[in-house]
Amino acid sequence: MQPDESPLELLRAENEQINPAIILADRLMRRDAAELLSVEEVNEAENILAVGTQEIEVIESHRKAFQKSPTSAIDYVPIGF
Amino acid sequence: MTGLRLATAENGKPIFGFGERLVRSLEYLRFKAKSHNALYACETVSRVVSEQHKYRLYIEMFPKDWERSTKSLHRAGYFKAYSERTNEFFQLVNDKCFPLLEYWHDDPELELERFAIPPMNFDLCCEEVDFAHLRDSYLAGLMFYFLEDDEIWNYFSEKYAVDKESLPPIKVAHQNIWKEKHGAKARSFSDLIRLVDHSTGNPWLDITNCQYPDLFEWDKETVDWLTEAYKAANQYFKNLEQLDRRIEEDAQTFFYELISFWNTGKVGSERHKVSDE
Repeated sequence: MQPDESPLELLRAENEQINPAIILADRLMRRDAAELLSVEEVNEAENILAVGTQEIEVIESHRKAFQKSPTSAIDYVPIGF
Repeated sequence: MTGLRLATAENGKPIFGFGERLVRSLEYLRFKAKSHNALYACETVSRVVSEQHKYRLYIEMFPKDWERSTKSLHRAGYFKAYSERTNEFFQLVNDKCFPLLEYWHDDPELELERFAIPPMNFDLCCEEVDFAHLRDSYLAGLMFYFLEDDEIWNYFSEKYAVDKESLPPIKVAHQNIWKEKHGAKARSFSDLIRLVDHSTGNPWLDITNCQYPDLFEWDKETVDWLTEAYKAANQYFKNLEQLDRRIEEDAQTFFYELISFWNTGKVGSERHKVSDE
């Protein structure tokens, strides 16, 4: 992280990905419930659940941090305005 | 993945009726409408894993019932957070292992990821003592905890003509009464006092309504352990029958021996009046 990077630049630099829990949930909902998950699959699901939950918490904390950020004037009109 | 040996066609594939396939499709569509919500996706993963865990336990514990079952794996049952099949598993545990669906487990909105068990013993802490519903032997054990209450003595005096004055005074409990090993005669007294004291080591007998409930996990070891403990708890009460008979045969001797055991950790063999010293 460079000290002169703006929050917007930091956001843009972040990797974009779909929360893995969404992908797994879709996979689980498509499969047949009568087919039991193996131990490995349950472990994988629990790991993904931990990662997915952590991602939600991180995004939520970032959102709260942005909401607390003070507004400041800029010397140009952003694209689209 | 492991096959579940559902009813199968000749090609080995499970047979599902139209209704079950429709419910499954609706369940998927309901999910799909919210699938881009990560929170909901996490809840879905948790729910599926949890339900799968219970299916596995169902098959392990009641394989024949599972094979015969026609309950839906998708449609919500009485406990709305779970499928009809999982609800069936809860019912089987209730019918074949121990009371699960009584007491506070009657709210259909409830999640049973962990469960509490109802106390089988009498609460000493806040219940009114209702002698009419207690066995005589249990009531005899209670007299050590209600020393100031003459009601118990009056009951035994009226029913069995027990003479309190000719019995030893009740002292502080001797530490030996809590020993693990006793002879046959002392054992029954020890069991009685442990039962009344809620210190049997059996969760069905030791918990009360006045404490925050212990919550148990859904795993085979815990369910098996609670099943055996439930049988043992019933045996505890069954064992009171022989103490009741001893009271009916000779209440005065029974009380002498019981008080003697409480005071000394041994069952007294002679009946005589003991001074207050």
